[in-house]
Amino acid sequence: MKPEAVLEKLKPAPVITGHVRLGDLDDQLLTPVGEKPPLAWFIAFAMTSTATLIGMALIGYTIATGIGVWGNNIPVAWAFDIINFVFWVGIGHAGTLISAILLLFRARWRNGVSRFAEAMTIFAVICATLFPLIHVGRPWLAFWLGPYPNQRGIWPNFRSPLLWDVFAVNTYFLVSLLFWYIGLIPDIASMRDRAANKIRKFVYSALSLGWRGASRHWRHYEKAYLIIAGLATGLVLSVHSVVSFDFAVSLVPGWHMTIFPPYFVAGAIFAGFAMVVMAMVVVRRTMRLEHLITDYHLEVMNKVILACSCLMGYAYLLEGFTAWYSMNDYIHHTFLQYIFGTYWWAGWLTITCNILIPQLLWFKWFRTKYFGMIFVSLSVTVGMWFERFVIIVSSLHEDFLPSSWHIYMPTYVDYGILLGSFGLFFTLVLLFARVLPVIATTEMKMVLPGSQPHREGGSHE
Amino acid sequence: MNNREVFSVLGIFDSAQSLMRAIPEVKSGAAAKLEAYTPYPVHGLDEALGLRKSPIAGMVLVMAVIGSIAALGLEFWTSGVDYPQVTAGKPYFSWEAFVPIMFELTVLFAAFTAGLGMLLLLNRLPFFRHPMLAARSMPLITRDKFALAVEAGGKTIDVEEISALLRDSGAASVEVVESPPVHGLASPRFFFRVLIAIAIACCVAGYATYWAMKLFPKAIPMVHMLDQPRLGPQQGNTFFTDGSGMRMPVEGTVSRISIPYTVDEQEDPSAMGNPLPRTAPVLGRGRQLFNDYCSVCHGILGNGETTLTAAYEAKPTNLLSKNIAALTDGSMYHVIMKGKNSMPSYSADLSQDERWAVLHYVRVLQRALDAKDEDVSSAQKE
Ligand code: HEC
Repeated sequence: MKPEAVLEKLKPAPVITGHVRLGDLDDQLLTPVGEKPPLAWFIAFAMTSTATLIGMALIGYTIATGIGVWGNNIPVAWAFDIINFVFWVGIGHAGTLISAILLLFRARWRNGVSRFAEAMTIFAVICATLFPLIHVGRPWLAFWLGPYPNQRGIWPNFRSPLLWDVFAVNTYFLVSLLFWYIGLIPDIASMRDRAANKIRKFVYSALSLGWRGASRHWRHYEKAYLIIAGLATGLVLSVHSVVSFDFAVSLVPGWHMTIFPPYFVAGAIFAGFAMVVMAMVVVRRTMRLEHLITDYHLEVMNKVILACSCLMGYAYLLEGFTAWYSMNDYIHHTFLQYIFGTYWWAGWLTITCNILIPQLLWFKWFRTKYFGMIFVSLSVTVGMWFERFVIIVSSLHEDFLPSSWHIYMPTYVDYGILLGSFGLFFTLVLLFARVLPVIATTEMKMVLPGSQPHREGGSHE
Repeated sequence: MNNREVFSVLGIFDSAQSLMRAIPEVKSGAAAKLEAYTPYPVHGLDEALGLRKSPIAGMVLVMAVIGSIAALGLEFWTSGVDYPQVTAGKPYFSWEAFVPIMFELTVLFAAFTAGLGMLLLLNRLPFFRHPMLAARSMPLITRDKFALAVEAGGKTIDVEEISALLRDSGAASVEVVESPPVHGLASPRFFFRVLIAIAIACCVAGYATYWAMKLFPKAIPMVHMLDQPRLGPQQGNTFFTDGSGMRMPVEGTVSRISIPYTVDEQEDPSAMGNPLPRTAPVLGRGRQLFNDYCSVCHGILGNGETTLTAAYEAKPTNLLSKNIAALTDGSMYHVIMKGKNSMPSYSADLSQDERWAVLHYVRVLQRALDAKDEDVSSAQKE
């Protein structure tokens, strides 16, 4: 191959295909917002909101009766609630990764998917916080978790990973919300100026805070946005590390491992990207955005999934190695429980879905065809949920004392609340797609060819 | 048009390039303040307009440091000073365990300084009555056009001359932006009224919830664990055949504190001496036990003035009488152990030491009946 040809091959693919002008972006991305949605949207919304209502009803039942209606019992005191919590927090991390870390790495393709991914982060964190909240049993007293002066004269235990979690997850939610909102302001200003309806104009005006695109504003805006991105990067790594501390800092065999923080972070990004891919395929198809969310975007995201899958494989192997090398009977036992114990099928399902099936992404066909990537992403979502199931339930159900061993079985309430959390997530996603632009229009304008003076191809941020 | 009401003159450009090209020309031609309005951040615009660097990074740094110090201070003061608890054998000031929350609060403070500091402090938003928002070209600017504004800044400017200057430097069109009159409903005042209304609604809702929980503490789901399905002492129960909720210990159960007692009627118990010293704590304990166990029958002073009704046919002894006072401690101990006629045995209710403590107190009662001067002083000495 000639050197020129090699260089040509190495050039990144364009992040926008076809000839697009600035105004076209607005017409295409902002027009669908607020219009009467198609029938498919209503059908989807009916389904997701029904699931949400089922979940809410069962949460109400749990609160009125007590968490005895769940399958949890000693020694499996943590089960669906914590599995779902870790699962949803993990889903959220892909959003922050795409919007913040890739922003710092100047990966220009991220502009097309960042807004949607950030929204997913926020909705996923909402679903996640729901679970510890109802698991405390009396959620109206959840404020006891916070450090506030009280007549009891006591303070929370700052050495407990569970309290770290409270701070980490709340910080994560607030900062993600801020980051998302700040990114939205210029887009909301565009929506304000397009809105014909009086009420809509008023709402978008209020939300845009009177943004007018002045260069004196942009200069602070860009800097602040970059700084928050930098902070969010640290945050995404810290939050899932802290979540993993809930396990790693305890002395339960199978949990007490130093690999946990990086292993959890990799898993979170893995699951999150799978969710983003699935959602982006739907958005791209239904809103006809093939030229903005290109094949290149999807392929890159699938490559990230493949890389994460390999990391996960390494982590699983290392878990086995640590168990063997520990020369500790309890850890041996727990590890054997993962793959040959009561819940052996969950262990093998995890390995199949997270390690074996994603290997299909080595083939370009799977990276670029809808069927291939949806299949892999679905399997990753299932696999990552079961991974948390294995970590939590398989480790706990046979603890140090054989007399207290207990086989955990979820009840219909557990399943219903899990269903409800999926319903809530997708309901919020569907609503979001109707009221706010799903693609960061302003950021796309920045990467349009010729949008920046002096530089060909445009720069980013 | 009255020139005083002119806020700025806008030149509208079709591309970022033409805007950038126009800036130096307009800058040298007009002495007024320049501002550019763009749909997205255009690079190089700050330098071209001669804007200073944003001070936001410094602000963030300061607040990040404050955030981490605040977190460390909170953790140190609460877990080391105000509520010191030993957790997992760690010292009170176990700073390693404080790092995660320090990190989180640092990020929280820093991110909100960056976000809100940029919006509220540096950009002075929300600002709904800015003249630019009423400009005809605003929808174009948020869409795909670029505007260069020559701002009056309170002074009078020559609109004609500036318009010509902008046109000459490549503006596709020119708009004169006026300072608009203040108008009613969609004003920021209305917006803030809505905010205040929401805040008041939140307070009212919070207060109502507080009182609801206070006045109806047993309303579901706020029962606060008051509803506990369990049997109280002496409660009946249909589960067991004898209808009683209480269970007897199985035959031959030995109490943990029981010490075999072999003295019986034939032997003389008076040989046993009271092994306990006559100290204030022992007497105090003795008094409490006497009041609890013996006073119902023997009276609070031990003088036999029972609180029992006539249904209890026996007459409890006056413990202060001469012949009881003449009994040795050992004989009285035997009565407590074995009971006497209608007096039941207290061997199961009192431990060995407790029995002796009660007897010390009985002696005190006997002596108190006929107290002497020296008793008072010796009691005070004790
Ligand atoms: C249920 C009521 C009752 C209670 C309670 C009771 N006694 Fe008696 N006690 C009696 C009666 C009745 C007698 C008289 C027995 C007799 O001589 O027939 C008596 C007698 C005595 C005597 C005198 C025995 C003798 O040799 O004449 C002593 C000493 C005595 N009680 C100590 C105590 C002490 C100490 C307690 C508390 C641990 C106590 N009693 C609790 C009912 C009671």
